[in-house]
Amino acid sequence: VKMAVSRGLPGLWRTCSLLFPRHPLLFPGITRTQSSVSGDLLPRTSLSRPPWAEQTSLVPAEEEQSRHAAVVSAVNQRISRQDFGRLFAVVQFAGRQWKVTDEDLILIENHIEADCGERIRMEKVLLVGAEEFTLVGRPLLGKELVRVEATVIEKTESWPKVHMRFWKRHRFQRKKIIIQPQTVLRINSIELAPRLT
Amino acid sequence: MPVRGTPSRFLKSVLHNGVGRYVCQLKRISIIFSKNAQSSLGVRDFIEEGVVDYAKKNPGTVVYVSPQSCRIPRIVAEYLNGNVREEIITSKTAPQISELLSKLTNQSGLDVIRIRKPFHTDSPSIQGQWHPFTNRPPSIGPIRPHKQAAP
Repeated sequence: VKMAVSRGLPGLWRTCSLLFPRHPLLFPGITRTQSSVSGDLLPRTSLSRPPWAEQTSLVPAEEEQSRHAAVVSAVNQRISRQDFGRLFAVVQFAGRQWKVTDEDLILIENHIEADCGERIRMEKVLLVGAEEFTLVGRPLLGKELVRVEATVIEKTESWPKVHMRFWKRHRFQRKKIIIQPQTVLRINSIELAPRLT
Repeated sequence: MPVRGTPSRFLKSVLHNGVGRYVCQLKRISIIFSKNAQSSLGVRDFIEEGVVDYAKKNPGTVVYVSPQSCRIPRIVAEYLNGNVREEIITSKTAPQISELLSKLTNQSGLDVIRIRKPFHTDSPSIQGQWHPFTNRPPSIGPIRPHKQAAP
């Protein structure tokens, strides 16, 4: 049974397993249902909890916090020393999300208001990763943290696509040739700021 | 003709165009028109006003203007990868011709056919490509589902 993507409802369990949320720009609010019974927010059904037993962590809270702090400091050190190789980023652009590295090409199905050869900065970055660590935004990463730059290479038109409608036995057919404007972007660089908060 | 009957290519750029600097891919434009025919009226207007501005704006493109006695005026555009595109400009007005020229300038010379994927990477995987044994702890003995009844 496929569940719809939840946006933070506490009773539904298919939340954190999805890496790229389907609606990254909506604020993940917590909705409360009106129930006269205090305690459970939603009725308990066969799908309101996962089939495996809920595992409380075997580690006490302070040790878990110290482990988290160690991980954060390790990642901070790597970033301040610029000790990573190639970076990839997940960027929201033109209504789609792209997983992007340096020197790769992207085709957008509309014209952008920049001329050929101009440099563009992509601001909506959801995730940045290197080989050893990843930074996941909630839902976006800060603009002082990541910088993704691209160049407009080409502004063409698509190949002539045939849009035909035909109803049989009704003598109805319409044919239309659709040519869409296209832009090709080349991602020049992805940069990480030397300090995290 | 179904889509798989038409030719197709992958998204690419000519000689890694954006990585260093951007180079305009249009090499040469030849405008062939006639001096007296009615069909090249717009072309003649464009050559009076707009050609010089266009040539100054695109210093990397050579513009040839050749009046011949021809019935149909054309624009022949040659690109850096060798492709030649011919456009017919019969009975077009001067602004339409300048728009067409700017469109040709912004194109690279690759074929206008179906592009299979809207992206292209040379390094698709950074953290290692997933295979069924990534993040899987090694185990001795057969792997069975946990016998835990969920209360």
